[in-house]
Amino acid sequence: MTLARDNLTMPAAPVSRWQFDAKALIAAPGLVFMALAFAVPVLMLVGDSFVDSEGLSLAGYRKVLGDPYYIGIIGNSLQLACITTAVCLAIGYPAAWALARIRGVWQVILFALIFLPLTVSIVVKTFGLTIMMRRDGIINFLLVNLGFIERPMRLVFTEFSLYFGMVNVFLPFMILPLYSVMRMLDPRLLDASASLGAGPLHTFLRVTLPLTMPGVIAGGTLVFSISVAAYVTPGLLVGDRFMTMSQVMAKAYLNIRDFQLGASMAVIMLVISAALILASSYLVRAPGGEKR
Amino acid sequence: MSQHATAMPPATEMHQEPSYLAVSNVTKRFGAATVLDSLSLSVGRAEFVSLLGPSGCGKTTLLRLIAGLLAPDQGAIEVGGRDLTRVAAHKRNIGVVFQNYALFPHLTVAENIAYGLRAKGVPKAEQAKKVGDALGLVRMEAFADRAVTALSGGQQQRIAVARAVVVEPSLLLLDEPFSALDRKLRETMQIELRHILRNLGITSIFVTHDQDEALVMSDRIAVMNEGRIEHLGTPSEVYARPKSLYTMEFVGQSSRMGGVVKGSSEGLVEIDTPFGLVRAPGHFMSGSRVIVGVRPEAIAAGEGPAGEYNTVRGTVAEVIYFGSRTLLHFQTAQDGDRLHVELNRLPDQVAPGSAMTLRWRIDDSRVFPAPTETGR
Repeated sequence: MTLARDNLTMPAAPVSRWQFDAKALIAAPGLVFMALAFAVPVLMLVGDSFVDSEGLSLAGYRKVLGDPYYIGIIGNSLQLACITTAVCLAIGYPAAWALARIRGVWQVILFALIFLPLTVSIVVKTFGLTIMMRRDGIINFLLVNLGFIERPMRLVFTEFSLYFGMVNVFLPFMILPLYSVMRMLDPRLLDASASLGAGPLHTFLRVTLPLTMPGVIAGGTLVFSISVAAYVTPGLLVGDRFMTMSQVMAKAYLNIRDFQLGASMAVIMLVISAALILASSYLVRAPGGEKR
Repeated sequence: MSQHATAMPPATEMHQEPSYLAVSNVTKRFGAATVLDSLSLSVGRAEFVSLLGPSGCGKTTLLRLIAGLLAPDQGAIEVGGRDLTRVAAHKRNIGVVFQNYALFPHLTVAENIAYGLRAKGVPKAEQAKKVGDALGLVRMEAFADRAVTALSGGQQQRIAVARAVVVEPSLLLLDEPFSALDRKLRETMQIELRHILRNLGITSIFVTHDQDEALVMSDRIAVMNEGRIEHLGTPSEVYARPKSLYTMEFVGQSSRMGGVVKGSSEGLVEIDTPFGLVRAPGHFMSGSRVIVGVRPEAIAAGEGPAGEYNTVRGTVAEVIYFGSRTLLHFQTAQDGDRLHVELNRLPDQVAPGSAMTLRWRIDDSRVFPAPTETGR
């Protein structure tokens, strides 16, 4: 991620910005690993997307972008990512605010509540949800016994369960960047705003929100780019009823053995994520970014 | 307006006037700690009052209570006859200049100043005019479109003042506004700010732990200690006639010597100290343990007429040269005593070990009950 703001003051020495700094060598092991494990496979994947059994071809892209079925699936993935990001933001923003403002033992407790779930595997969490949402699960049990519904309703394999599960998995990834930005927000700015006659809503819109926007953008980008690629959670909670780009890729590779289709879908997803990350780092820098 | 402010009657007479800011019996606790203990304070219109005290004395808490950023556990706060105790901060129209200025980093200088006008729904054209006037007031016209983070400390300070006064607050609170500035700049800003606020006729409460700052800027000073006001008076009253040992020690330098009251007559007490018999105005029972305090610059070298002066002898322990003046520390015989003398011109041949005769006016002596082991 290129979102972290560069707050370090550079030494004023007359060094050209392109002059080689030997300290960069320390990153060599990491760079070599990333080259082997990330860059090479991705390049091969991009290559695959332009090749079929007869040589160079755009058939993969033609198939994905020309078929309403696949366009619908891209739409599904984008919709899933958008809704997940929006819900995570709506729930995560106040939680991050509380986390940044509270002190002492309650902060520790809040931290634990929000971040301990990260230590549990996505598969475990999602299976846990399916058990809870079954017809004889605890949610249906409560709803029936409290008299809200006549008989158990179907929860698993609905879009509701999908969004529920996605937010469950990705919420901490929204809270963490928001928290780190909010922690740096000087509470006296809010006092100053109030002393100048601004009510809570005005203060939120004109001070809090603009100053925490880097956190919103960072958290939003992070959650969007991982939820647009989500595979496990949609697979377990909805299955084939709600196909996503990742599921198409998996099917293309594992079932129908159409490598070009899978690779083309993968490249499209890569482009979406890369565009988003570039746009967000531009957003973080652009409005008032240089002033701070 | 400035003529009015400079010709203001001395603070002691101001008590009879209806007070503009009235803080009545305010108590504030944080958990088990009582930070303000039934504190009352009244301030006249256009007056500049400093809250002076060490950190933890409750002065910033009092400021935040007046601003509405904290709520008192008991007591009431009124401004101009209006009870503000339960009014939210943003509805009080009380300006605050914060210690670190608290300028909005995402807004320009002009946008910072316009912030309060915009929040109050002032029309755009009027906003621009008022922002221009405020920038002129603090002589920062050329900086309107700069980013506030690109300004120096002194410039940020000016913008913080402009931002607070542009909305014409009924009261201006300043929380150690000079503490981040270097000494030279601080002295310039003190005089400039005082001038601006006098011209505007704004009633101001100024929090500081710096006694020099309080003496220079204030119409009156409230010396605070442990959540109470020890002494409220004009700078000269607080400095020359401190009401308590604490005030004398906190404001300015002082010499002090412990002793026992021998007798009293005609409003004077005679005290037996390790430096000899000393007389001071006051009323104490014979046998009381007291502390006599004198300002170092009130003490002179040589003898004086016995009817008006106290005369003691001492041995110089240290000579500290300041250029325009010299401070002499004398040897003392008991713990807690301190005989410091400030002379503009050093007599010849004074060095550590020299014996000297010293005098000061009986009227310049202050006498306080000695603090007991268990406290006052």
